[in-house]
Amino acid sequence: MTACAVSFSGVEKTYKRPRLLGAEYHTAVKDLSFELRAGEITGLLGLNGAGKTTVMKLITGLLFPTAGQVRVFGCSPSDVAAKARVGFLPELPYFPPQVKPAAALMYYGRLSGLSGADLSLAVESAMRKTGLEPHAGKRVSEFSKGMLQRLGLAQALLHKPDLLVLDEPVSGLDPLAIHDIRGLLAGLNSDGRAIFLSSHSISEVEKLASRVLIMVRGALAATVTRAQWEAAPGGLETIFVEAVK
Amino acid sequence: MKDLFLARAVAFNSFSESVRNRFFTLFAVFAFTAVYASVLAGVMAVDQEARVLTDFGLALIELTALAYSLFGVSSSLLKEAETKTIYLVFSRPVPRRVYLAGKLAGALLTAGLMLAIMGAIHLSLLAFRGFGLPEFYAWALAGTFLKLAVIISFAFFVSLFSTSAVSTLVISSIMWTLGHFAAEARFMAERLPGFKGIVFNVFLWLIPNLQLFNARDAAGAACALGPGVIVPAASWVAASYLAALWLLARKEF
Amino acid sequence: MSGRGLPLLASAVLAWAAGGFASRGYSSPFPPPSEMRVPASGATGDMLALALGARRLFSDLWFIRLMQYYGTSEFCEHEEAAGDPHHHCEHDNFGMGKYPLFLPLARHVLEVDPAFTAAGLYGAASLAFNMERAGEAEELLRYGLKYSPREWKYLTMLAAIGYSKAKNPSAVAESIAPLLRDPDCPVMLKQQAAFLNKKAGNYAAAAAIYADIAATSRDEAYVKNARRELEKLSRRARRP
Repeated sequence: MTACAVSFSGVEKTYKRPRLLGAEYHTAVKDLSFELRAGEITGLLGLNGAGKTTVMKLITGLLFPTAGQVRVFGCSPSDVAAKARVGFLPELPYFPPQVKPAAALMYYGRLSGLSGADLSLAVESAMRKTGLEPHAGKRVSEFSKGMLQRLGLAQALLHKPDLLVLDEPVSGLDPLAIHDIRGLLAGLNSDGRAIFLSSHSISEVEKLASRVLIMVRGALAATVTRAQWEAAPGGLETIFVEAVK
Repeated sequence: MKDLFLARAVAFNSFSESVRNRFFTLFAVFAFTAVYASVLAGVMAVDQEARVLTDFGLALIELTALAYSLFGVSSSLLKEAETKTIYLVFSRPVPRRVYLAGKLAGALLTAGLMLAIMGAIHLSLLAFRGFGLPEFYAWALAGTFLKLAVIISFAFFVSLFSTSAVSTLVISSIMWTLGHFAAEARFMAERLPGFKGIVFNVFLWLIPNLQLFNARDAAGAACALGPGVIVPAASWVAASYLAALWLLARKEF
Repeated sequence: MSGRGLPLLASAVLAWAAGGFASRGYSSPFPPPSEMRVPASGATGDMLALALGARRLFSDLWFIRLMQYYGTSEFCEHEEAAGDPHHHCEHDNFGMGKYPLFLPLARHVLEVDPAFTAAGLYGAASLAFNMERAGEAEELLRYGLKYSPREWKYLTMLAAIGYSKAKNPSAVAESIAPLLRDPDCPVMLKQQAAFLNKKAGNYAAAAAIYADIAATSRDEAYVKNARRELEKLSRRARRP
């Protein structure tokens, strides 16, 4: 039996927005139950506002569920033991413009508990893997969107996490960068790391993932395996369109 | 030990970002100009020039450091949330209490550096005008640092519930003012009869008495800060830190 | 969870404890705001002095204002002073300027910062010896003593004013002599002492004080006058 990296059981997340009189509530995710298996690439598809980012934030402990339970490697997502095994790439990550990539990575490496020679090695390795080495002398302010995304990915890889949570990892990238990142993710997966990625690009998810979760208005509409979409006429795109309709 | 290492990393990052901020240079230039411009007031005071230059300089140093610290602190957490930098921190094994302690330490380091730089500028002016180091100088700067520590930690607390950096700035500035009025307010509270007086007094106890650290103003009387002032300063910083932590622990990003 | 509110409770307890500890151990060395009798034009400044904890700075400003009101040059040649309503020279009879706001302004400097002894002495000396308003000078010193009860300089000055009222200039000069050794002694008091010594025939003492003024004061007018007086005294000494 494959070990479980993440499990959601009956999870609900309702946002509360304070107003002048009372508050406004918005349920982003409701009665959500699924599992992510260790060592597997799982894709998350959905239209804007479907709750994809909320799910990712619930896994990384940035949000707390209103109801239900989220477990990451058997622990609460807020637990440092769980966080030590997760690497997160948010959509459009920000780095101080005046620093060089190695300096930014050094900081996040330290926050991941690395120090000394281990830290230097981790930074070097993450820069090599993400193709940032030739740009080591540049400042972040000189980086293109693609390079920033690579840097974002590099910071997520520093502590060799068992699970990578990637929110729109190829959004806005040129085809060559997409190709490189796809290769990198496939390589990381072959090392045994689980990857959970959300994307608007069905074809990207189709190329990488072995299983896809489709979310519609905060609920899980379908879970599709590679075998299922390969067997379906029109592939994953048709399944997705039918699900969101 | 691991927490200390993490807090140090956050503190140094926060410190270096503050110092690299172009506003840091602008504030330093402003302080330099303002401190040197006080020569005019010194000349008008004729034989009291040393006193006037010292008082002007110390007050300008304090206000400049206060403005920069509040400016930095009020936008610090807000900016990290807006730019999603905080995602990269809180998705890592960094306890929120450690992160907050690191941010606070970083802000205090920045304030300390500002005081040191502006103090050096000020002393150079005094030397240029032929005056030596005023005997209470170190106490005055130490008192200013304690006041800044109290208000910076309070600003962190406010920034976690206020809706904008401006409101944090305003609320913290009001607390700064109240802190200097604390003794007078208590004097009035003690004269209020009955239950009203008790309630007012209990409320006033929440306001840090910044006059306690105002060695800059008490220079003519007892300027030395006794060990007794460290206890309330540390308590007020810790109180604001705990209140901020209470909010941060609940905060979602 | 019940433990979740613990930091908030601890925070409130700490803040209250610190407030209680501080209020027990602290007594303000400054006069309460109710004692500030201030001209309306200066009220904003006083508010800022209290709100920013910058009493010393604002008392300095009030002191500069006082000096500007009184006029920095307190002695000059008679011909230069013609037509000057603020003229008060140090020759045979002291200037009798009116300056009705002098006492309120001088007192206000001490209301803002009662530890500004040099301002108290300057104000009292000007009132007592230049304007011959010994009563007002005593009032100013008594106010200063209220917040600095051990200030020997104020007590010495009160004694000097007493001798002045008794028309005993040499005793005045003798009693203010210790004040002159203080590096913070107002130059106008030194000037006064030199003048009284000269008047009493103590030329050596007067010359020593004038020499001190010429060497230490930053006030050009006083320095010039001291040099002039030193020249006169040296001419007198050379006379057979």
